[in-house]
Amino acid sequence: MFGSFLKTSQVKSPWLLHFDCGSCNGCDIETLACLTPVYDVERFGIINVGNPRHADVLVVTGTVNQRNAVILKNLYDQMPSPKLVIAVGACGCSGGVFREAPNVLGGIDKVIPVDVYVPGCPAKPEAIMDAVVTGLAKLKGILEASK
Amino acid sequence: MNLNTLYLAVAGLVLAPLLGGLVAGVDRVVTAKLQSRMGPPLFQPFYDVGKLWSKVIAPASHWQGLFVRWALVASLASDVVLAAGGDVLMCFFVQAASASFVALGAFCGNSPYGKLGAQRELFQLLAYEPVFMVGILCMAKAAGGFDAFSIMAAQGQPLLFKLPLIVPGLLFAVLVKLRKSPFDIAASHHMHQEVVRGVYTDYAGRDFALLEIAHWADVTVVLWICSFLWATGPLQMLATGLVFLFAALIIDNISARLTWRTMLKTVAPLTLILATANLVWLYLE
Repeated sequence: MFGSFLKTSQVKSPWLLHFDCGSCNGCDIETLACLTPVYDVERFGIINVGNPRHADVLVVTGTVNQRNAVILKNLYDQMPSPKLVIAVGACGCSGGVFREAPNVLGGIDKVIPVDVYVPGCPAKPEAIMDAVVTGLAKLKGILEASK
Repeated sequence: MNLNTLYLAVAGLVLAPLLGGLVAGVDRVVTAKLQSRMGPPLFQPFYDVGKLWSKVIAPASHWQGLFVRWALVASLASDVVLAAGGDVLMCFFVQAASASFVALGAFCGNSPYGKLGAQRELFQLLAYEPVFMVGILCMAKAAGGFDAFSIMAAQGQPLLFKLPLIVPGLLFAVLVKLRKSPFDIAASHHMHQEVVRGVYTDYAGRDFALLEIAHWADVTVVLWICSFLWATGPLQMLATGLVFLFAALIIDNISARLTWRTMLKTVAPLTLILATANLVWLYLE
């Protein structure tokens, strides 16, 4: 019973860490809009935290370049397992219009494994929330399989 | 110690943290409603603690685990002392030890935010402890004894009519212990502030879950002591505790955070002077 409560808890209490990895701020504004009364992500138990050691889901916006790839990897490594990564926006998914730039490595998945991709330029708040819910369904599947 | 005291102590040990978790749930739901949001489920704090418990992460320092467990033991011990009808002053000192352990654990970590938060935690202790202690002295003087049962047994006229000047001091202590604005100085209850999570920054995973349970136990103790002001019956005590809780939630939602200097130089002396005036008045009466 205690074990099933812990598994339920992991799905019902996702704390997000939002990292701007070189975004134009369009996707960041949409991500933060999720916290407002209009979208109210806290109804899913989601909290936006500023500390990777407390986070369960890493939400990354923007392209990865030579300089911030190390920081992105560092944040990911500091998060406790099990963890999810969500790439938000065209830049986060593939590098977007900047993918051919000499300093740009590409999407988030060039550095860390990504679980859910959110398309859009910028991505809509509804799509970001849907990505978190999709990611949690994936996490639930992993937890069920590990029984 | 008779068997009844033992039962009460065990009930305090088990129920007090659960009650504190429920208070945290009510806090989040009411805060969401005040901000025109739907808010999380009532039991969300329990899910949060369950989640943190199942997380695998290495502690920032091996001393932290020890201090977290001591903090939990001290917080639960203060619950037990109060539930068993023990000395309220002793319960208060044991709880202060718990807060000190949290700060010590944060000092062991590497995060500058954690260390800054730990210093602020000590400033908070310095600010609210004297006020809260004078408040308890007033209660004991008015009720005729330091043990919880004799304060709770002061039937007839509620203590509030003899102790009106300690109310600001108690509310100050409730705001600090609930980590609410304008006094969420050490742990920045609302995230994304300049000290990240302050004294809690370095704690993670199971240690953080235990710390959260210790916090729930602390909240129950503080609200319980506040409810002594109208201890004419269990329902009246519950109502008094809820009045303090809702007052704290409303103040949290309408105020910005103060600096520790304002807390230490203005709020703490003012509330201390008021509480001391009440104590002097009781002695002169």
